[in-house]
Amino acid sequence: MPMYQVKPVSGSHVKTDLPTCMYAVPNVHALQNGEVEPAVKALEARQDEIMRKLYELKAAVEGLAKTVTTPDADLDLTVSSSSSLSSQSPTSTTFRGTTDLDALLGKVTILKLDLGALRDIVINANPAQPPLTLLVLHSVLCQRYRVLSTVHVHSSASSVPPQLLSCLGPRHPDSYARQMFQLGFTLIWKDVPKLQMKFSVQNMCPVEGEANVARFLFKLLSPYPSDPAVATLVDSWVDTAFFQLAEGSSKERATVLRALNAALGRNPWLAGPEFSLADIACYCCVLQSASASSAPTNVQRWIKACENLGHFGPAKLYLK
Amino acid sequence: MTKEEAPGATEEEQQAQSKKGLKKQQKEAEKAAKKAEKQAKLAADQQSTEEEDFAKDRYGVSAMVQSQQKLDRVLVRVQDLIPEKADQLIWLRARVHTSRAKGKQCFLVLRQQQFNLQALVAVGDRASKQMVKFAANITKESIVDVEAFVRTVEQKIESCSQQDVELHIERIFVISQAEPRLPLQLEDAVRPDGDGEEEGRATVNQDTKLDNRVIDLRTTTSQAIFRLQSGVCQLFRDTLTEKGFVEIQTPKIISAASEGGANVFTVSYFKTSAYLAQSPQLYKQMCICGDFEKVFCVGPVFRAEDSNTHRHLTEFVGLDIEMAFSYHYHEVIDSITDTMVRIFKGLRDNFQTEIQTVNKQFPSEPFKFLEPTLRLEYTEAVAMLHEAGVEMGDEEDLSTPNEKLLGRLVKEKYDTDFYVLDKYPLAVRPFYTMPDPNNPKYSNSYDMFMRGEEILSGAQRVHDAQLLTDRANHHQIDLEKIKAYIDSFRYGAPPHGGGGIGLERVCMLYLGLHNIRQTSMFPRDPKRLTP
Repeated sequence: MPMYQVKPVSGSHVKTDLPTCMYAVPNVHALQNGEVEPAVKALEARQDEIMRKLYELKAAVEGLAKTVTTPDADLDLTVSSSSSLSSQSPTSTTFRGTTDLDALLGKVTILKLDLGALRDIVINANPAQPPLTLLVLHSVLCQRYRVLSTVHVHSSASSVPPQLLSCLGPRHPDSYARQMFQLGFTLIWKDVPKLQMKFSVQNMCPVEGEANVARFLFKLLSPYPSDPAVATLVDSWVDTAFFQLAEGSSKERATVLRALNAALGRNPWLAGPEFSLADIACYCCVLQSASASSAPTNVQRWIKACENLGHFGPAKLYLK
Repeated sequence: MTKEEAPGATEEEQQAQSKKGLKKQQKEAEKAAKKAEKQAKLAADQQSTEEEDFAKDRYGVSAMVQSQQKLDRVLVRVQDLIPEKADQLIWLRARVHTSRAKGKQCFLVLRQQQFNLQALVAVGDRASKQMVKFAANITKESIVDVEAFVRTVEQKIESCSQQDVELHIERIFVISQAEPRLPLQLEDAVRPDGDGEEEGRATVNQDTKLDNRVIDLRTTTSQAIFRLQSGVCQLFRDTLTEKGFVEIQTPKIISAASEGGANVFTVSYFKTSAYLAQSPQLYKQMCICGDFEKVFCVGPVFRAEDSNTHRHLTEFVGLDIEMAFSYHYHEVIDSITDTMVRIFKGLRDNFQTEIQTVNKQFPSEPFKFLEPTLRLEYTEAVAMLHEAGVEMGDEEDLSTPNEKLLGRLVKEKYDTDFYVLDKYPLAVRPFYTMPDPNNPKYSNSYDMFMRGEEILSGAQRVHDAQLLTDRANHHQIDLEKIKAYIDSFRYGAPPHGGGGIGLERVCMLYLGLHNIRQTSMFPRDPKRLTP
């Protein structure tokens, strides 16, 4: 409530037309009779048209940028997190996302000369601990991109069983022309203490550990869930799979299986309604630790669901 | 002189005389005494030596072996002397590596190629003082025949290869004596370079070693290197023969320079002149056109390049392969790389002692490789170099520093010392290289690298006479000079390809050495023509 009220001095609101132009000068280009030359008018019209188109393009690009890349920093996290876990609609296709490898992998060449050379991912693995997750991810990668897969045995590895030599499938008939492929997947069986991946030696340090390499490869297929809570959940399941399921004692494994059971009771997949890296990692580790048959009911159902998806062919083939 | 003075004088003289005389006599007496003493001593010594040399027939310098008699004696090898042979009496022939007298004993180190052991002559009822003295005076590197008992030792002899036994010498004869002043000492020749500078002990520089190659070849390192080289050649032959290749011998005196005229040696050939072959290229291809399908040849290659570098020789041994293929030249690459991998595996599995011996003097990283061999394309290599900050065009040839950098990049990413670089640009390859069917800028040619240095240059060859003529014209080569070459393709020629490696360079790079003269027994370069 205002303290003092004063009656308005002037009556009603008078509409005043404020001029936009301070000083008006007669048109220099005008003809004698004061009209503007038609050529100039046409030029003006064209210019206006171009500016309009530019604004349209800018709006379109901004729209695309929002949908394609990582979430904006100023997205309201509290709003999204509460709604995402419950309201995400299930989708039939599990892997979508851009096919633009350049954006995902970053430009390999710094200079303007992009020779279209093969981008090679090199994975050094110990034949005593074959990485099932990576074999699965490799087969999915092959469906999305043109991948040149090769398997080598390093001179430090003494004897490698023949099934490991053919674990990436038969040789591609076009493998003599490396340039025709978008991505290279080179698996080297080597006497290394921990699995490592080398990609761009100048820009990246080697990535160590099956979990981390799996995350890298997964991101080539589809981006991580934009919701940070879901992304963290996926990450935590991946870590659980590799640290406790694969390398832990039988007690730890039992605990993990119970946790899996509980999580799978609430959702069809581990990280919510969508299939994700967590499912791949956990499935492979469960299979490798040979506890598939002794798993609780939800886990068994989930294993069957995973197998139905068809991505896990190579893993099952290897273990046979 | 007056009569009165004379007697005085004579008296004085007599007195003086008698004094002088006395002195003289005294001196003479002393001298005589000393002489007598000496003589007596000598006599005594001689007597004693003559008396005490009961071992005279158990040592000495043998008469020169002119095949006077055929002895049925079995000479044992040093490497076979192990504790199980203890207390046996054996004969052996070896070189005297060192000899050292210590009072009544003399320690000798006897050496045979890479193996050596300690031997001992001690004054006792079997050996006399003179014998010990003789043994201590045998010059280094002399060849001796020794009869001795094999005895075990309580403490290991660290400095010898046979650490658990030593010889107690019964008889020792010198078969071939070496001159006392050696141009270089073997221990110095084997010493690693760093050590010498620190402790003030000498190392021998390469020129001295090469000038006195005969002595340098006796060192353990040289023995190991050349045994390994022999192994490479052997594995090459065995692997290829197993794959169905035929070994051929190609002529080295040829009428026309095969690859570019500048780097050939000319020899006078009766009334005209001829050239020494730069590579067996021409003749390998002719053999393929002659239906041998897969051939290889091992022989000398002569390049008159005035390059004084660590990796060029004017004469070296070339191991060359050529084969006909069915549809794609990668069949040739696969065959060559498989051969190389088999050679590396053979060396790794069978020549470890030699590799370790060389590493003692020239430490290096063990050689790593992938199976199947890594094959990168030229465009990938250029992309990797661009990423590392090197500016080069995509049709430019790789310079030596770029090759080395690329080798390091590949080593970092793939951890291999051996790889193949495929699809070189056509502009930098010889005229007989087959161009790429899809991209005229590139060719069906490849290079192979070991530790970042090129060891093999190969390609699919043009097997069509017309295309060959066109390519030769493009390179502005005189067709008259290569008429015989082009003619060999006019009567049906299969598609074929191949490549050649240098034996010395492969050995040098496998062992991680830094100069090719270390792996060439009697190297030839622009500055060296002997030994």
